[in-house]
Amino acid sequence: MPMLEIQHVSKFFGGLAANADVSFSMEGGMIMGRIGPNGAGKTTLFNCITGYYPPSKGEVMFKGVRLNGLQPDQVCRLGMVRTWQKVRPLAKMTVLDNVMVGALARTSSLAKARDVAHEQLHIVRLDHKDDHLAGGLPIGERKKLEVARVLATKPELLLLDEVMGGLNPAESEEIIQLILDLKRRGLTQMVIEHDMKAIMRISDRIVVLNSGEKLTEGNPQEVANHKDVIAAYLGERVE
Amino acid sequence: MTVFLQSMLSGLLVGGVYALIGVGLTIIFGVMRVINFAHGDLLMLGMYATWFIFTKSGLDPYVALLATAPLLFLWGAFLQKVFINRVLNALPQNQILLTIGLGLIMSNSMMLLFTSDYRILTTTYSSSSFDVGGLSVSQPLLYSFLITAAITGALFWFLSRTDTGQAIRATAQDREAAQLMGINVRWTSILAFGIGSALSGAAGTLIAPTYYIYPQVGSAFTLKAFVIVVLGGMGSIVGATLGGLIIGVTESLAAIYVASGLKELVVFVLFLALLLFRPSGLLGKSRA
Amino acid sequence: MTPSPLRPAHRGSSLAALLAFAAAVILLAIFPSFVKKPYVLHMGVMLFLAVIQGQAWNVIGGYTGQYSVGHSAFFGIGAYATMMLLEVNKIPPWWGIWAAMASAMILSLIIGSITFRLRGPYFVLASISVAEIIRLAALHFKGFTRGAEGFLLSSIPPLHLFGTEIEFFTKRSFYYVGLLLAVVTIAANWAVQHSKLGYYFQAIREDQDAAHSLGINLSFYKNVALAISAAFTAAAGGFFAMFVKFIDPNIAFGLDVSVQIVLICIVGGIGTIIGPVLGAMVLVPLSEILRNPRGLVQVGVLSADSGVVRFIETYLSNAHLLVFGILVVVVILFAPEGVLGVIRRIVGRSRRRRTAPDAAASPA
Repeated sequence: MPMLEIQHVSKFFGGLAANADVSFSMEGGMIMGRIGPNGAGKTTLFNCITGYYPPSKGEVMFKGVRLNGLQPDQVCRLGMVRTWQKVRPLAKMTVLDNVMVGALARTSSLAKARDVAHEQLHIVRLDHKDDHLAGGLPIGERKKLEVARVLATKPELLLLDEVMGGLNPAESEEIIQLILDLKRRGLTQMVIEHDMKAIMRISDRIVVLNSGEKLTEGNPQEVANHKDVIAAYLGERVE
Repeated sequence: MTVFLQSMLSGLLVGGVYALIGVGLTIIFGVMRVINFAHGDLLMLGMYATWFIFTKSGLDPYVALLATAPLLFLWGAFLQKVFINRVLNALPQNQILLTIGLGLIMSNSMMLLFTSDYRILTTTYSSSSFDVGGLSVSQPLLYSFLITAAITGALFWFLSRTDTGQAIRATAQDREAAQLMGINVRWTSILAFGIGSALSGAAGTLIAPTYYIYPQVGSAFTLKAFVIVVLGGMGSIVGATLGGLIIGVTESLAAIYVASGLKELVVFVLFLALLLFRPSGLLGKSRA
Repeated sequence: MTPSPLRPAHRGSSLAALLAFAAAVILLAIFPSFVKKPYVLHMGVMLFLAVIQGQAWNVIGGYTGQYSVGHSAFFGIGAYATMMLLEVNKIPPWWGIWAAMASAMILSLIIGSITFRLRGPYFVLASISVAEIIRLAALHFKGFTRGAEGFLLSSIPPLHLFGTEIEFFTKRSFYYVGLLLAVVTIAANWAVQHSKLGYYFQAIREDQDAAHSLGINLSFYKNVALAISAAFTAAAGGFFAMFVKFIDPNIAFGLDVSVQIVLICIVGGIGTIIGPVLGAMVLVPLSEILRNPRGLVQVGVLSADSGVVRFIETYLSNAHLLVFGILVVVVILFAPEGVLGVIRRIVGRSRRRRTAPDAAASPA
């Protein structure tokens, strides 16, 4: 059974269709990239999947469970978490406390949560800053913090929303290595990105959205050479 | 039936003054997104100013309006420039607390100056009424309603036909865009608070002949003003006008048909229902 | 671990804090053996009361970020429940107060279900409305609450404990009860802060949507916070009723009660355990001295014909609200982190920050 199934999902805001009849599925262990021009409805789909708001039409199935209408906290406990396009650190709390909040989704013991938090901070290489206030971190570290925080919830499926946005090449490379490392550890991931090179490198499959609709789906090579994809990006050739 | 009509009529007349208070508050919120908890205390200052002028010189309140409104305008502008301006970017909770503090200062200073004794301002027509088709129309209420209508009309004209007025509206719609277009948003904020205060003070002047005047009278009006503004839609002047009339009528009818002691409670229950089910109000832009 | 916007938390200091707290409690406990002047004990009781109110509010306001300006609803319920159970049903207050806390918790669940859908200023307005509705209802339904007439306490029965009889005529007994309640409330606060609840409450304060996506059931935890806050606020209300011996709807449910509760935390330092204590230490003496400057004479601080006493009596009687207003304005404009923030800034400056530059960067 596929881990995630998006079946004919549409989302309307008033008269505007932010997502129109989008369907695809994901197997466990894979990395799926989702790309599309701005306004293509990528974040909207994330919001629908994770329970921020329900889809207007269609079904979202996660490990065979119907997610429509569930609240974000319920979705998290089922094993799916997301990061935010615009980072959301818990500013007045320390880095360690931020990650502990994530860890507390799986345990009620502060001691265990602390251990899990240290582990995750180690994975993202932020452990030297564990007693710093989250609000004082530079953007690259805020993004890493957010990843550590969601990892602490022990997810099976991780949705990353433009996690490389605003990062310099060195920081982006760190994130790419992190994503590949997480894949090696068995985590399934869906990544929204604008950075085409990065997506090509990390994705097993790519879904292309345009104006809320699914344009095409395939492995990186297929997608890169798809004429509609090239057209949607205004003729930008992709390596 | 007469009771109903009578009640409706009194409610509408009082509602006119409520509308004035609401419009002032909604302008302040519209332009600065500040929830002004001292709004009722500005009204209280208007009442005291009117009473003071009346006691010292016998000047009729409706004439004194020409003095009290500008006075309150200047006071409001002062408050905005010195205090409110500093918290425009702070947490809304802190803004509310600041205005609560200012309100406390105003009401308690008046208490120290004038004591908590109830003052009354009795004019020759304070308790007179006209007879219109079997219904009794309170004279002072009618006069204040007419003056309110005139003020509201003048305000509409100002906001839609003058450059300054349009600058204010632009700032209310989109502060950053207005700034980019060369509008001095600091000035429009000062103006907005000044106008809002002047309107509140004017309302105080208008009701001075019919209400008890005491330092704590403001808080009831502040809360009522909020109900009106949320009902009409935060930032909508037409909405606040309608809201004021509706609340006036609701209170009046509730006094008759529910229980006199519960009429304010009914308004609050209505308020809660509004906040829950239609926070954008009747005509407001839906901003949380 | 108290998060501070100015400095990251120092875990090693909690043992020192605990010892300091224990020392303070012991000192306060033996205090009445040395100082017996009723005015001082009275001040002590009011101080403890303010600490309880402040700590209780902090749970929902400071940690969870939901600024209720309607906490008089819980305070008043506590006052009326305890008073009515004693006067009407002859139930002594040490039982009555439990009923008061329970009713407040039930009320908080109702209020929470109504108001927690709202955010920011709308929540503030809703909380005020609820308290006003209750106050107006208490004024109106005279058959039940005696309306504006209020309730006058006739007498509190003596408490038989461990073979001794504790009477409640003198301020001393109230002093000890107040101290006990304050200690319990502080301990409860500390326990919350160092538990999963504390982390979740703060997460909600910092970013509700992020918290939601991290597995936090927002309405459940907000309601838990409010219930805890309501219970302790009601306890304070019950204690207050027994101490001042007269309550009416305005004294119990008035907006100024709600405002004062918020002030205690804002002035002291919001979201911390020591904040409400500092706030109480500033606000209560100010308010009591202004209300009753003669008390200073009783204590011997000033002589009976002192100019200060006369000045306060002539010009500033009952001006405590004015002073509160000024304090709020000053604090919000110049010291939003309260007295605690000011102290920290002074200490920090004199200590020359030793952490790395980017750690000292001010948070968003």
